[in-house]
Order: sequence, then structure tokens, then C-alpha cells
Amino acid sequence: MALAKFDIQNLNLYYGNMQALKDIHFDIKPQHITALIGPSGCGKSTFLRTLNRMNDLIAGVRLEGSILLDGQDIYQPDEDVVNLRKRVGMVFQRPNPFPMSVYDNIAYGPRIHGLKDKRKLDQIVEQSLKAAALWEEIKDRLHRSALSLSGGQQQRLCVARLLAVEPEVLLMDEPTSALDPISTIKVEELITELKNQYTIVIVTHNMQQAARVSDTTAFFLNGELVESGHTEGIFTMPRDKRTEDYITGRFG
Amino acid sequence: MRAQTADRIATGFFYAGAGVVVLILAGLIGYILYHGASSIDWAFITSPPGGLAAGGGIGPQIFNSFYLLFLTMFITIPIGLLAGIYLAEFAKPGKVTEAIRLSIETLTSLPSIVVGLFGLLIFVNYTGWGYTLMSGALALTVINLPMMVRISEEAIRNVPMELREGSLALGATQWQTICKVVLPSAFLSIMTGIIITSGRVFGEAAALLFTAGMSSPPLNFTNLDITSPASPWNPFRPAETLAVHIWKVNSESLIPDVRRVADGSAAILILVVLFFNISARWLGRRIHNKLTGQ
Amino acid sequence: MPMSTRQSFDRQLMDLQQHILRMASFVEKAIYDSVESLAKQNTDLARGVIENDDSIDELYNDIEYTIIKIIATQQPIAKDLRLAVSGLKIIMSLERMGDFAVDIAKVTLRLSGQRLIKPLVKIHEMAHLAQRMVKDGLDAYVNLDEAKARKMCSYDDDVDYYFREVFEELIEFMKKDPTSIEQATSLLLVCRYLERIADYATNIGEEVVFLITGYWEEMN
Repeated sequence: MALAKFDIQNLNLYYGNMQALKDIHFDIKPQHITALIGPSGCGKSTFLRTLNRMNDLIAGVRLEGSILLDGQDIYQPDEDVVNLRKRVGMVFQRPNPFPMSVYDNIAYGPRIHGLKDKRKLDQIVEQSLKAAALWEEIKDRLHRSALSLSGGQQQRLCVARLLAVEPEVLLMDEPTSALDPISTIKVEELITELKNQYTIVIVTHNMQQAARVSDTTAFFLNGELVESGHTEGIFTMPRDKRTEDYITGRFG
Repeated sequence: MRAQTADRIATGFFYAGAGVVVLILAGLIGYILYHGASSIDWAFITSPPGGLAAGGGIGPQIFNSFYLLFLTMFITIPIGLLAGIYLAEFAKPGKVTEAIRLSIETLTSLPSIVVGLFGLLIFVNYTGWGYTLMSGALALTVINLPMMVRISEEAIRNVPMELREGSLALGATQWQTICKVVLPSAFLSIMTGIIITSGRVFGEAAALLFTAGMSSPPLNFTNLDITSPASPWNPFRPAETLAVHIWKVNSESLIPDVRRVADGSAAILILVVLFFNISARWLGRRIHNKLTGQ
Repeated sequence: MPMSTRQSFDRQLMDLQQHILRMASFVEKAIYDSVESLAKQNTDLARGVIENDDSIDELYNDIEYTIIKIIATQQPIAKDLRLAVSGLKIIMSLERMGDFAVDIAKVTLRLSGQRLIKPLVKIHEMAHLAQRMVKDGLDAYVNLDEAKARKMCSYDDDVDYYFREVFEELIEFMKKDPTSIEQATSLLLVCRYLERIADYATNIGEEVVFLITGYWEEMN
């Protein structure tokens, strides 16, 4: 059995006095797609952001417990956060391309990590766009502003931008919630293809998406991890009644 | 019926208010240009003032105004930008930040003549420079720095958090994010702010009376020796600007063609300020187009 | 034709069809072998049919689970939903047909050692037709061929016709020669099994028509 990519133990997270995550134990398997589902405010996005320490940007956040990436605690005091975020990349809910050309957007990552060779950058841009299934659509528009792309294309651009830094893990925070249905399906297909090379964790409030796309599903409620397991098992025969009530829409 | 009548009356007042403002502006500009346009010709713009005789121009004063603008901005922009970046990106809510903000607000409300006197004390007498461009530039910096800081801070704050998050999530440091994403995004807003500020700097008079001085040595444009008092490029020489010259001509001058010189100078001044403001609007529209990706 | 945007789902549906085809080919073979074993009185072949039914049942369980999984995780609608649901009903029919083939094989074992009272010409024909119906039915399913499905259903009439003929012949036999009653009734049962197999095959045809048109038509 493969070693877990992320090994989370006893995770508790506080915003000031409010506890946002309660005693989470979880494994995230490599080369798998793990979906995190749950109602608004259940802590799934917060949990996702602990995996690349984006929570550090929020004042007053306190974290207890351990998160191991390939066996190393990412919250140890001298951890190189910049390198962590290179290995563990994130795609956000609303596409956030930089106000630059498509080319510069994708070259941004490699450039800030020191790469200057133009030919290599060209190669990386092409490869990343191909991996994001976007190359054919915009190969003639590389030097136009990224803001001129449609919403779905922008989001795939953000994925390509992420792939350009060669991460190991892709974190996706509701990546299709701002997109129309066709773009949503294109992004889902992309995620399914990327699974072979990357470990993917996706937060979604759309249960059907979680069912379609993921291998493992974890259900969060009020900061707790209620149940997790094989997606087909969760959606055909959940063990916990709260899970069943949520996924059948009988919640509340 | 009463509500509709009230509505119509109120609307009438709104239009009237706007109309009055436009009329005042048009009247002012119209009056100045009408009286001054006839004085403007190439000789007027390039030749030095006449001393006691008629027929002088405002060439050196125009040069001084621009050079002073350049110097002032050279000092103000970097400091203002750095302070703006600090306030927008690094400052945490607390007593120190409050103190900084209070200082900035206070500086904004200082009368410019008072700043001029302060400048006289420090930048002219204490330093021993006498009336110089540099003293004027420093005094103008004191006046305009708060505005610059506020412009920078606003522009940087307006860059959406998502762009920063996107950059950080790729493994960039905060400094890299600021340099490569935040500042370029804020650039055009900052630029617009700078241009508007330039317009105000160009027209400043009170603070310069006792700092940059009311005289200008004869300028030899071919003299490139910065330390020589005759070189126009020397920042440590007295430099009467256009706005100050208008004041002087109208109050102390003995030349017979006062009206011609004063009105012509005023017209030039207004034209330059108008130019700055129109450029700022044009640039503003370009920002809008760029950010919406056209 | 533009590339589908749900390629992984399309692949799942194609895999599903392949599995159903595989199950159908097992069932076709079972029908053929069971009647062969009776005609040639080959008890080994008959035992083979009985054992292989386990594979058919296993396939049935696997495919059923796969379809449930597809419904739960892919939320199929429109034709995809009809594909999934008709797939379920088709494999149910196939499984029943497999069971009938086993019943025929058991008759072979029961009659082993006896001499056949008549060559099984019409029974062979019935078996051949039933096999053909299975093959055409699954073809129609995979290719969404409505005409083929309807045509295939019409063979059921032929099977029924043969059934009635053999029925009368066997009754005559039994009247003339009472010692043949045991074997004749077993052969009657075999006819009945084959007739039932054909009925289930017709169900497959009806499912295919439902899949294509969205309407249910009785075609027995």
C-alpha cells in the first residue's frame, strides 16, 4: 500500500477563539483525487488551506496537530513555506489570472524560481498549456492579455500556470463554481486526466461533481470530518446518517 | 402631484448646482485665456524677463517650473510609494499605524505658506543653501508627500486579494508578489495620481516664495557644469517659478507691460495644468480598458 | 464530430457495453452447448454448461454493481439513463436465459444412456433461432438499431410455431408409445425452456426499442 501523500493527525485550528477544525485525522493518497464535501462553513476550505499554509495569511490563526507531507511536518518552525507552495499548488474559486499576457502568466512561476532561458520558458509554456487542454485554443494568442479569455479558459489557464512550476499536489478550492456548465465539464475532464501525475484535493459544494470526479470523498460538518472513504461507497451506502442526510439533500 | 413637483424642483436644483460649477470653471479659464492668449508667442516663452524694460518673457521661469516639478517628484514619488506599500501591505492595526496615519492627515492640512516658512528656516537658512531649487523641492515634498502616500496606498489596496493569493500560491515571496504583480497592477492608478499631483505642484506659489526664491540667474543652457551658478541644471541655485513670477510681477514689478506678462503667464500656467488633468483622465480610461482586458 | 467533453464517462459506458456483450456471448454459448449436449448426448458438455453458469452469475453481479455505481456517481440522464436502466434489465434477461440453458443441460444428464426417440431437428431449429435472437438483440443494443431489434422480435413467432409443432408431435408419440412418455415429457420441457429463452430474448429487443425511442412496446 502506497505511503500517504499527506498524513494529518489531531488537527485542530482556531480563528482567535473560534474553533474551525476539530480533531481531524485523515490520509490523502498519492495520484488520487480526494473530494471534500460539506455544507457552507463546515471547514472544508479551511482544511484545504492548511495543506499549503495559505491560512498563515490570516491574522489570529492558530493550529495544533501535525500535517505530514511525504513524512515531513510542514508546520515545523523552520519550514520553507515558499518551497512548500511550489510543491503544493492551489487553484481558486474565481479564476485569478494576472493582468499580463497568457505567456507571462504561465512563465510567472518558473521565472520567480529563477528560470530565465527563453527557449526553456517557451517549452514550459507550451507543455503546461497542453497539459491543461488549452494549447489548441489559444496557441495563436499567447501574447494577448489573459483577461481577454472566457471564464472557463481563464480557469484552465490558472491550472496551466500552476502546472508550470511542476507541483506534486494540486489543491482546488471550488474550481468550477464560477463557471458555466460546459466549462465545468471541461475542467472536470482535465482534473481526471491530471490524476495520473498529480495528487489532487478538490473542495466542492457540488456533490454530483464530487461523485463524478473523485476516488475518495470526505464529508465535513461543523469542523469535523464525519466520514471518508471510496467515493462509490459513500454515494451508494454511506455509513453515517449525517452523511446520508447531506448527500440526499435532506439536510437542515 | 406634490411628490412629483418636489422631485422636479429638486432635479432642477441639482442641474443648477452642476451648471454653476461648470460656469465658474469655464468663466475662469475663458477669462484668463482671453486676456493672456494674445501675449503668447515664441519670444514670450523663451526669452528672460525684462528687468525694468518692457518686452520680457518667461522662458527661464517655465524651465524652472518644470525642473522643480521633476526634482520634487524625484524625491516625493519613491518615498511616497514606499510608505504606501508599507501601509497597504505590512502595517498591522495598532498604535504605531494610527500614529503614522495621524501624521499624514495633519501634514495634508498644513497651509502652504506655513510650509514655506518652515522651508525658509530649515532648507534655506539652517542648511546655508540660500534660495535654491532644492529647498523648493523639499518644501513641496513636505506638502505633497501625504497625497502621494495616500494615492499609492489606495492604488495598492485596490489590487484584489485574489491576485496576491494567486502569486503566493505559486511559491512567490511577498516581495516578489509586490514587485511583479501588485505594483504593475496598481501602476496606472498610481500614474494617474502622480499626474494630478504634478498639476498641483506646477501651480504652487506660496511655499516657494521663501524657498526657491523670487529671482533667477541668467541661464546659459549650454553650460553643463552642475556646480556652476550659471548652469540651469544646477539644483542649488535660486529659481523663480512661473506661479511665483505672476505674484511678483503683479505686486513688486516695475516693468511697464505688467498686464501682458501677468496675463500671459497665467494663461500658460492654466494651459499646463489643464494638460495634466486631461492626460490623467485619458490615462484613467486606458486603465479601465486594460483591466477589463480589451 | 466534436470530441465529447465527458470522455471518462463515455469510456465507462463503453466498458459497460463490452461487459454486457461478453455476458451475452457466454449465454449464447450456453444455449448452443446445452442443446448440442442433448442432441449428441454428451454428458461432459452438459456438465460444462452447468458449471459455467457460475461465471454467468458472477458477470451478472459485477455488471449490476457497475451500473449502480454509474448511476450513483455520474447522475446519467436522458439516453445515458435509459442505457443504464435497460442494461440492468438486459442482464436480468440474460441471466434467466442462462438458467434455462442449465435446465436443458440437466435434462441431458437425466436422459443419459437412453436412446433418443427422435432426432431433434425442430428443437435444433428453435435453439438456433434463440441464439440468433440473442446475438441480434445485443447487436441492436450496441448499435442502437431499432429495425434490427424489431426484426429480431419477430423470430419469436417462429419459435412459438416450432414449439406448437413439436408439442403436437410429442403428444402423438406419447399416445402411440407409452414407454416414451418419460423421454417425451423431458423433451417437451426442453422445448418449453427454449420457448422461454426466446421470450426473454424478445424482452431484450423491447428494451432496445425503449432505449432508442423512449417508448415501451410489447412485442411478444
